Amino acid sequence: MSFWIDIKYALRLLLKKPVFTATSVLIVAIGLGLTVYTYSLLNQLIFKPLTLNGDTHIIAIEGEYKESLGRRLPADPYHLNQISAESELLQGMSLYSTGIRTIGGLGNKTSSRKLNASFSQWNLFEVAGVQPILGRGFKPRDSDIGAERVTVLGYEVWQNHFAGNMGIVGSSVQVSGVPTRIIGVMPEGFALPAVAQIWQPLSAEILKPTEPANRGHLLALARLKKGLSLEQFQREMRRILQRHYQTLPQNFAWRASSPGGYITAFDFKLTNDKVFHHYSVFVAMLTVVLLILLLTCINIGNLLLARVNERIKEVAIRIALGIPRKRLVLQMLWESIFICCLGGLVAFSLAGWGVNVSNSVFEQIFAMSGEKPFWWQLNLGRDAIIVLLLAIVFMILLTGLIPAWRALSGDLNGLLRDGTRGALGKKAGRANKALVVTEIALSCVVLVVATMLLSTSYSAQNADYGVDTQNRITATLRLPSGTYPWNAGAPEARKKRNDYYYQLKDELEQLPNIHAVAYFSSLPGTGGGNSHFEVQGKPAEVFNENPVWNFEIVDRDAWRAVGMKIIEGRSFDLRDLASDSRDLENTESPVIINVAMARDLFPNGDAIGQRVRSGNDEGWQTEWRNIIGIVSDTVHGSTMQATSAQHNGYGLMDRRNWTMNIIIHYSGLQSQAESSLLQVINKIDADVAAYHIQSYDNLIKQPMMLVNAVNTIFLWCGLVALFLAASGIYAVAANTITLRSQEIATRRALGARDKQIIKLFLKQACMQLLFGLALGISLSLWVVSQITKSMIIGGNSYLIGLAGIPIFIIVMVLIATYIPSSKITKKEPSEGLHQS
Amino acid sequence: MSTRQDVTNNKTALVELKDLNKVFFTDEVETNALNNINLTIYKGEYLSITGPSGCGKSTLLSLLGLLDTPTSGLYQLAGHNASNIDPDERARIRNKEIGFVFQSFNLISDLTVAENIELPLSYRTDLNKNQCKDMVLSSLEKFDLTHRANHYPSQLSGGQQQRVAVARAIAGKPAIILADEPTGNLDSKNAQSVMALLDELHQDGATICMVTHDPASAERAQRVIEVFDGKIVSDYEVTSTQAIAV
Repeated sequence: MSFWIDIKYALRLLLKKPVFTATSVLIVAIGLGLTVYTYSLLNQLIFKPLTLNGDTHIIAIEGEYKESLGRRLPADPYHLNQISAESELLQGMSLYSTGIRTIGGLGNKTSSRKLNASFSQWNLFEVAGVQPILGRGFKPRDSDIGAERVTVLGYEVWQNHFAGNMGIVGSSVQVSGVPTRIIGVMPEGFALPAVAQIWQPLSAEILKPTEPANRGHLLALARLKKGLSLEQFQREMRRILQRHYQTLPQNFAWRASSPGGYITAFDFKLTNDKVFHHYSVFVAMLTVVLLILLLTCINIGNLLLARVNERIKEVAIRIALGIPRKRLVLQMLWESIFICCLGGLVAFSLAGWGVNVSNSVFEQIFAMSGEKPFWWQLNLGRDAIIVLLLAIVFMILLTGLIPAWRALSGDLNGLLRDGTRGALGKKAGRANKALVVTEIALSCVVLVVATMLLSTSYSAQNADYGVDTQNRITATLRLPSGTYPWNAGAPEARKKRNDYYYQLKDELEQLPNIHAVAYFSSLPGTGGGNSHFEVQGKPAEVFNENPVWNFEIVDRDAWRAVGMKIIEGRSFDLRDLASDSRDLENTESPVIINVAMARDLFPNGDAIGQRVRSGNDEGWQTEWRNIIGIVSDTVHGSTMQATSAQHNGYGLMDRRNWTMNIIIHYSGLQSQAESSLLQVINKIDADVAAYHIQSYDNLIKQPMMLVNAVNTIFLWCGLVALFLAASGIYAVAANTITLRSQEIATRRALGARDKQIIKLFLKQACMQLLFGLALGISLSLWVVSQITKSMIIGGNSYLIGLAGIPIFIIVMVLIATYIPSSKITKKEPSEGLHQS
Repeated sequence: MSTRQDVTNNKTALVELKDLNKVFFTDEVETNALNNINLTIYKGEYLSITGPSGCGKSTLLSLLGLLDTPTSGLYQLAGHNASNIDPDERARIRNKEIGFVFQSFNLISDLTVAENIELPLSYRTDLNKNQCKDMVLSSLEKFDLTHRANHYPSQLSGGQQQRVAVARAIAGKPAIILADEPTGNLDSKNAQSVMALLDELHQDGATICMVTHDPASAERAQRVIEVFDGKIVSDYEVTSTQAIAV
């Protein structure tokens, strides 16, 4: 019976103060909602290991991460096979690579479509534990030299490109111009390794090299045996590899001492380069959210503590009447339980809304590229519910026990005598101050980091990349390898590809709505990554101390279409080709550099005629390239990426095989320009695919969309932290003032004016601001220093973040302190002195 | 037998209350705490206000101390019309003209003894730092607290704390000292000591108005006012046994 009495009493108290109750529930809902949402996001994207249809983790085995490129390198299959053969800790391992393929329709009746392809060892589906829903997977014989070309389709391709044709297995289609038989269809949602829409087997020749190669070209995924950890496998792998490194020829000896390991194993979800590159940002986000949860607990505890202080005499009376301690604690807990449970329900809805919004955002971000990893689908599953329940329990205990402690630790007799009521003990005073300092510091960190990131990405989006983007469309062109083979860069193969590109350009430029067409391996504003280069006659003593540049290849008339200009020297022309373009190796290789590179490397203005070459610390070098011209500055990559270089070099497309991006300067409607492109492509060769067709502005924004989404989450975290801090500081201030009501009344009795009372509290708030902001700014700088390992933060962003946000917090804290302190001065001093 | 008239001859009125009323309004209840109070306190008088619990004596003291505002009526203090003045002016008058001694001492726990005594002086705009310091030292010496100057209230006994409160009350040389049950939280020995202090101050010319429920303490004053149900029911000089009808 007493159980129900206490519950009813707690409910009555909460209903009696609806504003307090609603505010508390809202605070709990926001704090818990953000925690559950962010946990779901990060868990699904990064932290929760991929298991698919097995009961153990899938791991990735790849080459080392290259900072300058912002991505991992593939590994030498020679070593991957050694690991597969000798490891005792793996259930299975499959080698693979990824690429792009084009696919025709049945009977070649439909135009080609670009697909994300995975080329793998026969056992990829076995390792994944997922089998086709139609037909079969691969068998070892599919990799044999001379075996029929086969392919397995993804579910979406089967549904959309082949209309869900149930008789598709056994049909023949053109895949990148090569007749290929369809042998199976995978179930919906399967896209291993990440975004695959079509699978083909790797040949035995590629899979099983008999000797090590200079460059790695395969990746691997594997499944651990039950009960084993990644760390155990990493140790085993290191032992296996070190044994084999000893037997390598001298020129491969560097692999044994590669910092971080030439080949590494890690959780499969980290194969997404964007995630890996910004891992520190995600960890920072998780830390921030946990801090917000803590802040929420502190706030609610404080609000409840304030209520206990208001009711402290009632509590003292209950104790005097003999209430058991346990029952008193439980009474304190009931209010906390109701607030946290109700808040938890609302939190679940908020988190659900966040999850839906995120899934929509992911669809938008990857709508153009089609590169959303298949596990990037959020939901509030069992894990999220468990986290929510644990967080609610944690909150109930923390927020309920604080008031209970206060109730039990008060001076009973003093409270009953009225002697010490309104007097704030030293300990409670210190605790309150520490609370305010903590809340200021936390909200400062989150807001500073969020503001700096958003400001930086906003600047990056609106940066001047040195090109004209208006009335420009871009696309990536995929020439089918069947009809335009690479042939290891053989002159005939290269000529065929370049002939196609120039024919397309010429025919497009004949159209009345097309002004200019150009080709870039990566357009300004995209790409990025850098490598070292050497100036002839001025090599650095240590190779890695040579300057870095970003090297792209362009066609002979690239600048017009993007609004770049030759400043000095000349552009590429027919002089840079031999009379027979198949004989390019015997002519001097030209290069055009940008203004910044010319200024920095050749300050005497003598860049023209100098020679440079790319290389790496493994001894690989290109030919010497003769500087023939200087072009206006652009930025390849985003201005916020650390991998974007200031120096650019451009080589001639005619000399290299490459996947080229086309840019078209048009007039009139964008849709018309896009139609023109597709029509001319189809007219010349219908097997050629153009994809990612979009405006140039959109192309530049694309890489930043994900970062922007993350930054927006950070900003929401910041606003939540600010709301919690403001309400928390208000509650602390109000609580402090309640506890010091007698002191305030005494001061007023002695002649202190209202302004002096307010000034007293504002002065104390300023001290707390000083400590809180000092701590918050220091922590912010540390967080930012971690982030700047992968991102460049602009100067303006520092100003906005480190100056603007503290000012904003100062104003907020002063307002939060002013309001309750001015409220108490509106009462008569006698109320505080209990004169009656 | 002396009369009130005789006692008050040649004395200046310091406080005048005319038809003073105080009504407390809560959710649904009106409480008439004081009804038509008419009272004059003369300079140099030692007045005690007595009455049963809930009679309104503490409310009367709050109004006298400008800690509350009357619902209606006139209040004059040391020549100021204190009835309807703004809060800042009330604070200024409280600071300069009134010294308070509370039952629960009401010392600020984070301030030392010296700082507590200095507190009302720090709100004055007509005193500089050195003047304040001198006045504090003078108070400390007068009440034999010099050796406790840097101690905190928690380090003092009840009697010592009340001595500090009295020192604080007179540090600024106020026109009147208002004491609300000054011995209520003290044992008999300390209570005697504090009452002796008040006697001494009165001997030195201070005007004292004390609320007490203790008849023995009340009789130490020159004049006793009895309050009952918000009205003054008697007002007599302690040396005379004749009550003056009101």
